[in-house]
Amino acid sequence: MASPLPQVLLDGFFAGGTYALMAAGMALILGVVKVINLSHGAFFTLGAYVAYALAERGIGSPLAAAPLAAVIAFAFGVFLGKSFVNPARAHPFALPVGTLACALLFEQAAQMVWGPHPLSIEAGEPWIGPGGLIIRQWGVIAFLSSAALLGGLKWVLSSRPGLPLRLIAEDEEIAGSLGMDVEAIRYLTFGGACAMAAAAGALLSPSGAVTPTMGRAPLLLSLVVVIVAGMDSVAAIFLLSIGLGIFGNACAWLLSPQWSYVALLAVVCLLLSARPAGIVVLAGRRD
Amino acid sequence: MRSAATFRGGWLAAGIGLLLLFPLSSPDEFFLDVFTTGFLLAAFAASWDVIGGVSGQITLGHALPFGAAAYSCALLTSLAGWPLPLAVAAAVLLAAAVGMGIGALSAPLAGPFVALLTLALGEIAHEAATGHTFFSGPGGYAWGGEGGIPVALPWQDAPPFSSYYAALTFLCIASYGMLRFSRSGAGLILRAVAGSPITAQASGVPISRFKRLAFAVGSAFAGAAGAGFALHVGRATATDLSLELSFQAATFAAVGGRGTIVGPVVAALVLHILFQGLSLPPSARVLLYALTLLVTLRFFPGGVVGTARDLASRLGRKEGARPPRRRGRNRAGEGTR
Repeated sequence: MASPLPQVLLDGFFAGGTYALMAAGMALILGVVKVINLSHGAFFTLGAYVAYALAERGIGSPLAAAPLAAVIAFAFGVFLGKSFVNPARAHPFALPVGTLACALLFEQAAQMVWGPHPLSIEAGEPWIGPGGLIIRQWGVIAFLSSAALLGGLKWVLSSRPGLPLRLIAEDEEIAGSLGMDVEAIRYLTFGGACAMAAAAGALLSPSGAVTPTMGRAPLLLSLVVVIVAGMDSVAAIFLLSIGLGIFGNACAWLLSPQWSYVALLAVVCLLLSARPAGIVVLAGRRD
Repeated sequence: MRSAATFRGGWLAAGIGLLLLFPLSSPDEFFLDVFTTGFLLAAFAASWDVIGGVSGQITLGHALPFGAAAYSCALLTSLAGWPLPLAVAAAVLLAAAVGMGIGALSAPLAGPFVALLTLALGEIAHEAATGHTFFSGPGGYAWGGEGGIPVALPWQDAPPFSSYYAALTFLCIASYGMLRFSRSGAGLILRAVAGSPITAQASGVPISRFKRLAFAVGSAFAGAAGAGFALHVGRATATDLSLELSFQAATFAAVGGRGTIVGPVVAALVLHILFQGLSLPPSARVLLYALTLLVTLRFFPGGVVGTARDLASRLGRKEGARPPRRRGRNRAGEGTR
């Protein structure tokens, strides 16, 4: 193999496409529930551990792991949305700290159950592409299913069944006065978005080590995507996620894996300090 | 109202008296250590409250000034060979400067974005401390990374009760200072900024400057606690900068009652001594902290102090007295946005 660069870019491309699923979930929560969910990364980790547990039992297929992880995460997400996020929505303190508490709670629980050491999942035989490029089967499957799910989401949002979501994002009072159960739609959306994060985690789990804190970097990636791409365009989220996936992989390859996380953190800081006015829409709209 | 205040002062004096007596009962060294750490953590929690409670700027990176002071204490004494008092003073100043910087960056942001920015800044510092190892010192072995950097202490094996009393003294002085600050004119303005930034601005308050002031003061006290912690442990480690530590401070403040300074101190002492005294593994402790926080946020949003106040006013109403109107102080500095 001549240079590892094409390999790095290709892996970043596939990973980024899958991160888009998670970022779109984040955008849904931000748009409909109008909340920044710091526990989004924990659901990603949950999905990865579900995939690991299944692979341990001999069912090493992303197509089995992702739906199971999504169902489990949906249940937890609905519980969290109904019992904590909805009642605490108006509290500027309770939400960031509380969702962070959920994330730490899950990280520590995972550490107690599976241990702090990185686990890995057998990903099957890769295909060898042109020029010695290694094409990982899970990567391709993850990318394609993520793209399909996002396409489905875009279709749902732009058609009749997605109307309540768009209306609540636009004006919740009108939605309520039209007889929509705003609270129920909120926690169901929250659960659905958590399910998307868990599915992304399950799909991406074989590409790296499964650790209790693995969800922090994807959480930041989703935050960056949401801050830059906004919540309206699924396509923008998809493209930006791919870009960030490639960026993160390139950072990991050029410096060290840890630095891709630091680079994402730095991007968050820069974005927040560079355009404070562009993102406070959320905070202002809550009144 | 004055009788209630004296009553509370009496409880406080009794508590301090008990804490002063405790080492004389010749307890296990382990418990002395738990208490000493508890005092430092309590001061740290109170310093969070200056920023997050009184001024309403939800910081999730409060470990940054704490760890920055701990690390500069270690580096200045071990590497640069500074005398300890000078190093501690420099560490506290550095922490205040760090706080000023964080305050300047976060001043234009609103609500959850302050939490996001401070979280990211804290995590960057933590990653840098974890990842950066260098060879140094007379021994020539690796410094930094997870193992941390040793502090060159002028004494060897200080008796445990002397660090206990030193930490208790520090806690009393620091909490008194923070309490005075939170009730001073500047503290009152900060509460106004927390309650409604727009109203405060309309009243002619330069809110960015006051936000920076809050961050600088809170971070200076956090830095003092961090320097004390480094002296107590004899090392600055990467956990001094961890997200878990920042989160603990927010938990103590939320449980005790935000914006009250005394509440977070008491909550930190009780929770830390309870969880650490049971010698639970660290991950179980963080898990319990998270659970405690979630239960508090969901069912007692005012924390212990706020709930007690509500209960007292409800009892007063039952006895036929007119419900006492809550005085100007906005309980947790929120809700009026």
